[in-house]
Amino acid sequence: MLSLNHFLRPITTRPFSTGRCLVRPQKHLSGAQLWKRHAGTSPEPSQPSRPSSEPSRPQRNVIGAFTPTSAAIFVVVGVGLFWYFRNEKAKLQEQREKERMSKSYGRPHVGGPFSLVNCTAAPSSSEQRFTHEDLLRRWSLVYFGFTNCPDICPAELDKVTAVVNELRQSNPDLPVQPVFISVDPARDTPSTIRTYLTDFHPSFVGLVGSFEQTKSVCKAYRVYFSTPPDADPKGDYLVDHSIFVYLMDPEGRFVEAFGQTAEKEEMVDKIKQFVVEWSR
Amino acid sequence: MWPFTSSKKDTSASTREDRSKCWEARDKYFACLDRVGVLKPGDEKKDGACASEDKAYEQNCAKSWIEYFNQRRVIADAQKDRLAQANTQAANSKR
Repeated sequence: MLSLNHFLRPITTRPFSTGRCLVRPQKHLSGAQLWKRHAGTSPEPSQPSRPSSEPSRPQRNVIGAFTPTSAAIFVVVGVGLFWYFRNEKAKLQEQREKERMSKSYGRPHVGGPFSLVNCTAAPSSSEQRFTHEDLLRRWSLVYFGFTNCPDICPAELDKVTAVVNELRQSNPDLPVQPVFISVDPARDTPSTIRTYLTDFHPSFVGLVGSFEQTKSVCKAYRVYFSTPPDADPKGDYLVDHSIFVYLMDPEGRFVEAFGQTAEKEEMVDKIKQFVVEWSR
Repeated sequence: MWPFTSSKKDTSASTREDRSKCWEARDKYFACLDRVGVLKPGDEKKDGACASEDKAYEQNCAKSWIEYFNQRRVIADAQKDRLAQANTQAANSKR
């Protein structure tokens, strides 16, 4: 505000050349007066009776504040503002570019090579093994769990099923595959996993490996899992594990981890957004 | 009632039907505990309460699940207390 006042002062006070305008305000036609004249109603009687000996003065006053000085100021300020905004825009663009760069650099290192048994492949099919390369050319939703899971895994798998269904409906051409990886290889046989997954989305891929392979894929995906130390492979026990649904893009790269609190709608919206960003 | 034994569980996967039966039995048992004012499952036994609900619970759920649900009931209650405490603390600090 202060700077604006400073800037306006030269125009309003006008110390040079147009001081008379302030001295003789009666000569200056107000907006209402002008309007009256244009509208054709009776003009002020005093105005026309004024001697026309100073033809240059009223003209000057009609021009008002528009003097060479103010014109110069107008142009200077205009050019200044133009440069200022152009500069700001460039700065903003630079910042956005930086953000974009840091985003791609900041991608968490989740995922990696693995090779597991594909429990859901048709017995005659040659795709009995499933590797990281089978994540390519499609979007994958990867969940780690075990079939004897009391309530969290089934709820999460139901959620993934709903998400896949919704995506298939809204984006029919989008290749999406839900993947279940067992963290309980001692008890989860391929046939157990195959039966278990029939309760969920029909396109679910069920994977299991040896204990070492399971440990390695869990490490790659930053998944914690813990089997009780005295667990009997035929016994009744629970496996403690982290609960995340990992979204992997068609290049097999990690995109997002959805926690237990992520709602179905939120997941669908986010995935759609990622798909748009990815295909750019 | 469908008999649910742990030996069956080991050979085949738990199905949606098994699970919902177990959850239903659990909810009935916990509702009974709430009625008699018992938090920790097992504490109601000395009063002889909820015996039939407990039996159905044990029949329909694997032992590991029962342990897990029972533990979680106690933990959830403690969390509820802690949450309430935190909320009142937050409300007090605002004053």
